[in-house]
Amino acid sequence: MSLPARVSAALAALAFVLTLAGWWSGSPGIDLPWAPSLGLRLSFELDGLGVLYSLLATGIGFAVVLYSGAYVPLHLEHQQRPHRDEVRFFGLLLLFMVSMVGLATARDLILLFVFWDLTAIASYFLIGYDRQEAEARTAALMALVVTGVTAVLLLIGTLVLYAEYGTFSIPELVASVEPGGTVTLAATLMALAGLAKCAQVPFHFWLPRAMAAPSPVSAYLHAAAMVAAGVFLLGRIYPFLETSELLLDGLVVVGFASMFVGGIVALTRDRLKQLLAYSTVSQYGYVVVLYGLGDTVGVVGASFYVIAHALAKSALFLTAGAVAEATGERRLSELGGLRRAMPALALGSGLAAAGLAALPLTIGFFKDELFFQAGVERSPGIAVLTILGAALTFAYIGRFWIGVFLGPTRAPAHRVSALLTGPVVALGGLVLVGGLLPEPFVALANAAAEASLGAAASVDVFYHLDARAENLMALSAYAIGAAALAAPRVWRAAAETCARLGERLGPERVYVATIRSLNETSDRIHGIEVRDLRTRIAAILVPGGLLVLLGLLATPTAGAYTVGSLDRGDTALVLVLATAALAAIATTLPRQHLTLLLVAASVGFSLAVVYAFLGGPDVALVAVLVETTLTLLFIGVFALMPRASLRRLAALRTPPTRRWRDPLVGAAAALAAFLVVWGALSRPSVGESVAEEHVRLTPDAHAKDVVTAILTDFRGLDTLGEITVVAIAFFGIATLLRRGRLS
Amino acid sequence: MTSLLTQVVVRLLLAPTIVIAAAVLAKGYSSVGDGFSAGVIAALGVIAVYLVLGAEQADRLLPVRLAPVGAIAGLLITLVVTFSSVVRGEPLLTHAPPPGADVIHLGTLELITAVAFDVGVFLLVFGAVVGILRTVALARSEAGS
Amino acid sequence: MILLLSAVVAVLFGAGAFLVLKTDLLRVVVGMVLISHAANLTLMASGLTRGKAPIYPLPNGEVSDPLVQAMTLTALVIGFGVTALLLGIAYRVYETHFAVDFDRLAEEEARREAELEQEEVSV
Repeated sequence: MSLPARVSAALAALAFVLTLAGWWSGSPGIDLPWAPSLGLRLSFELDGLGVLYSLLATGIGFAVVLYSGAYVPLHLEHQQRPHRDEVRFFGLLLLFMVSMVGLATARDLILLFVFWDLTAIASYFLIGYDRQEAEARTAALMALVVTGVTAVLLLIGTLVLYAEYGTFSIPELVASVEPGGTVTLAATLMALAGLAKCAQVPFHFWLPRAMAAPSPVSAYLHAAAMVAAGVFLLGRIYPFLETSELLLDGLVVVGFASMFVGGIVALTRDRLKQLLAYSTVSQYGYVVVLYGLGDTVGVVGASFYVIAHALAKSALFLTAGAVAEATGERRLSELGGLRRAMPALALGSGLAAAGLAALPLTIGFFKDELFFQAGVERSPGIAVLTILGAALTFAYIGRFWIGVFLGPTRAPAHRVSALLTGPVVALGGLVLVGGLLPEPFVALANAAAEASLGAAASVDVFYHLDARAENLMALSAYAIGAAALAAPRVWRAAAETCARLGERLGPERVYVATIRSLNETSDRIHGIEVRDLRTRIAAILVPGGLLVLLGLLATPTAGAYTVGSLDRGDTALVLVLATAALAAIATTLPRQHLTLLLVAASVGFSLAVVYAFLGGPDVALVAVLVETTLTLLFIGVFALMPRASLRRLAALRTPPTRRWRDPLVGAAAALAAFLVVWGALSRPSVGESVAEEHVRLTPDAHAKDVVTAILTDFRGLDTLGEITVVAIAFFGIATLLRRGRLS
Repeated sequence: MTSLLTQVVVRLLLAPTIVIAAAVLAKGYSSVGDGFSAGVIAALGVIAVYLVLGAEQADRLLPVRLAPVGAIAGLLITLVVTFSSVVRGEPLLTHAPPPGADVIHLGTLELITAVAFDVGVFLLVFGAVVGILRTVALARSEAGS
Repeated sequence: MILLLSAVVAVLFGAGAFLVLKTDLLRVVVGMVLISHAANLTLMASGLTRGKAPIYPLPNGEVSDPLVQAMTLTALVIGFGVTALLLGIAYRVYETHFAVDFDRLAEEEARREAELEQEEVSV
């Protein structure tokens, strides 16, 4: 393994251990004021939900990093890309891990939103990691647009809650919400964001596209983390969802729809990763249904389901990657009989597939048991739907594993690194351990449910060797699934018609049409507006000026204008001001650029003197320095251009149509500015400035110069923004002039 | 292009320029000036050398290559100072030591967080201004060759 | 004094607006510099008090308003950054289009777009 892979693996393992330690010791979390005047705090806590998703993000992240240590170099080699691109991959993976943990532990809705968007950004770069391929770029953009646009709904929901309750803190909100229109609205908006993130119908289309990502990325993002963030949000805002029965029923409908759409399409897919992607859509449908059914069983079941699914599905995604590396084939129809060449992989992924199909002795059995239990408690109709969903899962996952590992060998496999099979076996092993020893996993799910429900949850799971409803339902699901596997001819045509219909009429077409029409509109605006920069400048200046004038007309100005006083001591100031004004007028005359520059510089220098006379030596000093540097910079840029071009520019004649227009516009602008500025200066809107307080407080800040104290202390954030602008200007110029080389 | 006299003078001027910049920075709290002006003054000194001696010789004479490093370091320092108060559980940019407390003096330099902030501003501005003008100079030599 | 200061601001702004409307990109940049000068002077002139520099030990009589000074300083520096960036953009435009006057740029852009569309059609 390369150094970046080692470092990432060590960091992921460390994060995992720290999360476990934090859970055991019951650490109180972090709570720091960030912008207390806006009610924003950096507030994190490892509650049950936080622990569950942090453990998933760091634990499966660790397995994926190990796998990537072997996978990424091979992947880069296939694509003839340099080895240093590896650093980018692991950096992004770690960024994603950090944002997932931040998301899981955030206790403040704004903070939650920030990490939510950070996961989307990291996923954009990870999905588009093969940036030379158009397919990967489109997929990355689609994932970003779908999850990013819906993320705005999360923000709107947050603001709706803030407007009503005046806080962003989740525990405070949970304590104070009452059922009503506001909360339902906010919860609906947030739930939509969550559903888009976990690829539920009708937002599901981005996930199959996102399979253009390298396999470890899919295993991490599209099984355990990014998509899981969607249902995590549902768990986090469950107290708000709970206030409306209608909303919960809506979740059940969406969940079942995704379950069947995902399941049926998964049955028809030939590419391994496409099959798994639709399976993910369907599996998170289960979780959404569980949240929608609610109650203790539903909420515990949802959290437990996420654990079971994440372990099994990431193992299967890693399997697909390992198989592709070993054989060079990515389609079920080209693969088969790999159990002979890759027995360890067959075992690991077999356990994972069994887990997903909910066979006994795997953790998956209990996920379905809880699912059936929640269904039975609701109504017989729901119970039947749950059986059908489970049967679908059994069928498509059976098709996957049997197709790859059993039957005659179709594509020969060559040896692959143990790092490609190890993580699969380990994750498959965990699926088995969870089936034999479910207690720690159930404890985790109970803790997570406790965070959602706000009350202690203690659901236990056992093997019951009797004819209870859940067992019978599981048996019938196996039976239907096995029958479907045995006789594919019965359903194949129907399933394929469904899938084709979805492609023809599905929401993806809406997305494509929207993007295309946006593009066309943008082109049209470009054609109208940008063709000539002057019209664009006029388009900003004219309406801006009109608005200001309207404001001026609306303000009562009768008697507001005062001339101000002048005494003999101001003679020097008046002279310098006159110089500045004359120099400004003079800038309109010269043809030569150098002359123009010198005249403009003299405006700046005389203004510096004005500042000095107005009692601002600090400002005067900076004005002189800025003017000097800018003059040098102008000369530098002039020197970059060939003299002939400059001479041609200087010889440009203003066309006769514009010879009168430009000065008139300038004069009109000057007049408007005069009226507005004179009015504003004559009657300041504040009677008393905070300046006096600044002057009084300066000794407390251990300073003598009030202006410096304001800059570096009282209003330090302004200065921070200001120097950031300078830094951005520097990097921008380096990009423009030397393609980003800084030195 | 430039006479021997200017070449000698500009080198002689560099040291006093840096000293003045340091003074403006250190005295910023009790007198006119702050990190920004100090940064620009120092940068102007370096740029004068650049203008007179040309890019090649100046690069050999001074570590201007490091300008971007200085800029980034300055930005990091200001960010660290800004957020350090959050770690202490106070709002952003709360200065330490608190009002009324004793301040350690090094000559006229007071050791307070605001001065550290100003040092960051100085480094950033110095690095950015030198970097910008050097970028233009290098673009020119690349365009020429 | 108020009248005089606003008149100077007006002249700066008017000259800036005039230059911004020129065809020559470099003149546009100079125009932007003048407009930011106008803004800086307005800020500085809007101080509530006028007097000596606000530096301890405070002088007898009034001190000038330190708040507007701090704001003007910030504005000056940001103006510097923006102008530097504008210059960079102007040069980059020259490098790619070999022109910095808008009439030629518009022609150039229209020609290139036509070329691109041609290519798309042929592909």
